Amino acid sequence: MLRIFHNTHYDFIRWWKWAAGITIAFIVIGVGSIVLYRPNFSIEFTGGTLMQLQFARPVDVGELRGYLDAAGIRGAEIQQFGSTRDYTIRAQESEKANAASTGAETVARQIENLLVQKYGSQNVHVIRTEAVGPKVGDELSRDAIIAMLLSFLVTTVYLAIRFEWRFAVAALIATSHDVLTTAAFIKLMHLEISLTVVAAILTVIGYSLNDTIIIFDRVRENLRKNRKEPLYDVLNRSINETLPRSILTHATAFASTMALLLFAGEVIRPFAWVMAFGIFTGTFSSIYVASPVLLWIERKWPRRTAAFQTSSTATRTSPTRRSPATATR
Amino acid sequence: MSLKYRLLLIAGLIIASIVALYPRKVIERVRGPNGFTYDTVKRVPLKRGLDLQGGMHLALEVDESKGKIPDKATAIDRALKVVRTRIDQFGVSEPVVQKAGNDRIIVELPGIDDPRRAQDVVQKSAFLEFQITDKTQALEKAFPRIDQAVKQSGAAKTVAQAGATPTADTTAAAAGLQSLLSKDTTKKAATDTTKGKAKSDTAKTDTAIVAGGDFSKLIQQGQMPGEYYVAQSDVDKIDKYLSLPQVQAALPPGKILRWGSDSTSLGNKFYRPLYVLDARPIITGEYLTDAKPVRDPQEGTLVTFQLNNEGGRRFGVETAKHIGDFMAIVLDQRVMGRPPVIQGAIRTRGQITMGGKDLQAAADLALVLRAGSLPAPLKIAEIRNIGASLGKDSVDKATTAGIIAIVLIVVIMLGYYRFSGLLAIIGLCLYMLFTLAALAGFSAVLTLPGLAGFVLSIGIAVDANVLIFERIREELDRGKTVRTAVDEGFHHAMSAIIDSNVSTALTAAVLYQYGTGPVRGFAVTLLAGIAASMVTSIFVVRTFYMIWLTRSKSAQTLSI
Repeated sequence: MLRIFHNTHYDFIRWWKWAAGITIAFIVIGVGSIVLYRPNFSIEFTGGTLMQLQFARPVDVGELRGYLDAAGIRGAEIQQFGSTRDYTIRAQESEKANAASTGAETVARQIENLLVQKYGSQNVHVIRTEAVGPKVGDELSRDAIIAMLLSFLVTTVYLAIRFEWRFAVAALIATSHDVLTTAAFIKLMHLEISLTVVAAILTVIGYSLNDTIIIFDRVRENLRKNRKEPLYDVLNRSINETLPRSILTHATAFASTMALLLFAGEVIRPFAWVMAFGIFTGTFSSIYVASPVLLWIERKWPRRTAAFQTSSTATRTSPTRRSPATATR
Repeated sequence: MSLKYRLLLIAGLIIASIVALYPRKVIERVRGPNGFTYDTVKRVPLKRGLDLQGGMHLALEVDESKGKIPDKATAIDRALKVVRTRIDQFGVSEPVVQKAGNDRIIVELPGIDDPRRAQDVVQKSAFLEFQITDKTQALEKAFPRIDQAVKQSGAAKTVAQAGATPTADTTAAAAGLQSLLSKDTTKKAATDTTKGKAKSDTAKTDTAIVAGGDFSKLIQQGQMPGEYYVAQSDVDKIDKYLSLPQVQAALPPGKILRWGSDSTSLGNKFYRPLYVLDARPIITGEYLTDAKPVRDPQEGTLVTFQLNNEGGRRFGVETAKHIGDFMAIVLDQRVMGRPPVIQGAIRTRGQITMGGKDLQAAADLALVLRAGSLPAPLKIAEIRNIGASLGKDSVDKATTAGIIAIVLIVVIMLGYYRFSGLLAIIGLCLYMLFTLAALAGFSAVLTLPGLAGFVLSIGIAVDANVLIFERIREELDRGKTVRTAVDEGFHHAMSAIIDSNVSTALTAAVLYQYGTGPVRGFAVTLLAGIAASMVTSIFVVRTFYMIWLTRSKSAQTLSI
């Protein structure tokens, strides 16, 4: 039987202050940078036009920019997308274009006409066009935020029911930590925040929660087994006991993500980056955020030892103490 | 549950999945040499999203920039019907036309190669009107008022900066006086006949002879009553003037101004015709029953149309009243071709000349006329257009990534868990089968983020197996027999598996509810993946163990 990290007794929690320092520094740098410099939102959120173009021969960015500027399409962002023949152009609709009823796609047409005129219709090929009106963008941002808050709420309620409120709050704080670190990572990596990246953030939330729940599940079990053991030791023991599982699961998930990152192409790459970081931060937060927070809550609001086995909410509300057998079902 | 029933259930699931995924004949519209035809195609019934097969996604909204639409809700419902009819006739396989929210129409056209044309077909209002051109020189009579309004609005200066000389209005006080001093009309090189006509008609009221006003100096008489020419370079300026509320108030009552569809050349300059029409249309396109594109050797491309009996009767009565007049055929506020003279009562048949446009344009116009007009103009709120090559590229790359991910997982699982790892991998194969079958069964759309979610969920699906195997190892460490260890392992791992999967499923459900397009595809694959992973890890792999335990009853060790 091949075994790794079997029967370990690391004192993980002991290092929580160091871990907290590092992660807070990272979040402060990342979030500070978001506050100071605008994050890079995709046109799905800001409104505007994105075109992916393929040219028959390599084209110079400066030349391209020159043509666009000359045609009055200013402030367009031109980026190489893979080879020197592939480019993306991002342009914001001007206020004037919005005022006129021309709709969201006028700039795309303008650019296409211009480039066909300059390079000939055989030599330039529009592979992808996306144009989003400002109203749609606002709605998308709103929906993304609602989705995030709602997923928080739903999972917190679920955990409060399945575990108890302390665990739910600890998991919620760990997950919020992951959102912050992921946001910082996105900002520091200069990734564009697109719908797909939002989906990736939500997946990270799910994944991190998943990991926290595995450890908490073990904590819940160990608490039932041994009521005398202090929570500090229970947490450490649970983390150690689930360590082989954590290593193996994260290895496989990380392998999948790396495959996506390296082989799935440009379009999915930002998603893969966020996921790769998410696996890391999710694991980190389960050990160094969720567990210390649980410990802290426990100190602040200590549980009555007799209430250990019962679902705490039930005990608190019911005047007659339930027998452990019925409550732990 | 006994082993027999477990095996039966698994076999049933596998058969159902294969049935769901078996390539079947689908009736599709495919592009043939003679346009689109129905054909049966054999393929795996998994819908690919636009990002994987290429195509166009449009979100349309009611355009209120040119005036409020009173009843938006019904307008959007009627527009939805019209757009659907048009798309059905346009000929794309598996188009989607649906309402999103209260005020938006989503159109998805997979695999189209001419997005611009498709967009025109969707967006064209196709509001057809027949209006008699004005014979009363109403516009000339209104010139002084319009010029005055333009001047008062102060717009002349800002507009005039573009090119015209803004001298006249600053020096002269009254429009009448100004007209005497200015020689702008002659400068504009109108044809002699035009000028003569204009003068003779307006001679009744001296002050009405206006030539130097900012508005009137840009406009010259055309070749038929109610027709005017505007130099191509001045079209924007006139449009700007006409959009001013003061100017609109000054326009002749009961008349409307409409641009012609094609420009004409006089000498070496290009002119755009502007028509003054009776505001009341003698008939509209609502009576139209059929429209066909025709190529005519003399007149170029045409769209011939037919009206129903009621429309024909009305048309006959109205045209009989207007014999000798010119009738403008107005489509979406543009006069199509030159208004023909009404020679006798017209009944149910008519035609629209398309000028120099090709037969394709005529065919598209006929299509939108047949499908009916949009109750309100639509503007594009969002458009995504993905070339088919990009889609194919994405599928290939995602497939490569998927295969590599699977190989890595197989290596890790086999290397670490040996025999049990093999069971997990067989379970994983079934997991993939079930997931794809679930996607096909619920006719979910496979998108690129969806594929990514699938690859990722393979990684997460392994987690359930890992949890169980680690538990079994722990039980074995405590000195339990193989049989008890397996039972206890599954039993103890259950709560963790359920809690973690349910919370991920909840997140996916929220994503599905609030996500759009590609993100929704991601949520669907994630949900299907979670369900399939629970079934395989808890039920299928367990059954494998049960088979193994019954076959080797005296097993003392377990390869895990």
